[in-house]
Amino acid sequence: MTLPAKAKDVRAATEDLRRRTLAHMPRALERLIYLSSTRDYNTGLYHHDGLALRFSEESSCEALADCHREAFRELVAASLQELVYQLKHYAERSQASMSDFIAAWRDLEPYRVAIPAGTDSLASELLFSNLKIALAILETRLMTPWPAKPSASPRPSLVR
Amino acid sequence: MITLIIYLLIGAGLFVFLLALALRKGAPVEGCGQEFVEARQALQTLRSGLLPADLIEGIFGRGDLEYVTAETVPEIHRMFLTERKRISLIWASRVRLEIRNLMHFHLGYSRFQGKMSLNTEVRLAIDFLVLVLACRALQLVLFARGPYGAPAIVGVAAGAAARVCSISEKSLAFLNPLGGATLPNDTGSGGATIQL
Repeated sequence: MTLPAKAKDVRAATEDLRRRTLAHMPRALERLIYLSSTRDYNTGLYHHDGLALRFSEESSCEALADCHREAFRELVAASLQELVYQLKHYAERSQASMSDFIAAWRDLEPYRVAIPAGTDSLASELLFSNLKIALAILETRLMTPWPAKPSASPRPSLVR
Repeated sequence: MITLIIYLLIGAGLFVFLLALALRKGAPVEGCGQEFVEARQALQTLRSGLLPADLIEGIFGRGDLEYVTAETVPEIHRMFLTERKRISLIWASRVRLEIRNLMHFHLGYSRFQGKMSLNTEVRLAIDFLVLVLACRALQLVLFARGPYGAPAIVGVAAGAAARVCSISEKSLAFLNPLGGATLPNDTGSGGATIQL
């Protein structure tokens, strides 16, 4: 496959992935965890049966990797408030109780293996740090009522 | 006699100085590929890993602090400040390290490759000096006053680092693949500036 043809195939696979599978996961945290679960720990390669059937194995792998990096960037750029809400919704959608979820995430830190390969360590550290704080906030909120949901808009940028 | 010895010493000193200069000018470009690759890696780390505007905003912006102050208990507030201080110190030390790598490259090797005007060299030297001093000052202030203690220095360091990256990229442009794209520049053409 030539380079432009391959790039076109990867773009088509990415669009397909977004339209079918990721459309059910509006929040970046869900997408990050899901996409990292499609990665083989031994090879670092991504695999998705349905996508590999419609496109080539290589293109579907790159599409999954692209979407994984995108979800990671989105999470790093999210405000702490947004991250707390994403974590809360993710915990509610899991089968575990909120207290079990918080204990497991605090002790095992599963998010550490969910980051894409090749990301800068500082961005990863910032995300881990924010998730750690978000978990602590979530834990304190178990006993207190929740404030209104934050607006969907990204945090106001102070950097131009 | 003493005057003669002094003159001889001055003469010997000058000779050694000129010899060092001559040897330096004649240093072979061959074999310094590793330095070019390291400089390129430093540039890429700065551009895509340390200077993107949203990352600087995430570390030093006050939005999260305001949220934590307003919505959480004092223990979480303390934890937040400790975590942000740690991350901001990592940022400052890594920017300083990568800038030193780039400075080393410019002092030793870029003269063989790039055709830099005197004006650009002077500007670059000033930016390097500002950056090294700003990063050191930033590390001290962040350590003493926390992540929100020096927004102006963060802005100066990020802006100067973005300018140094732009100039360095020209020196390393020959390493880009033919017709390929240049390094990603997430900081924008004017570099990152902090508005606080």
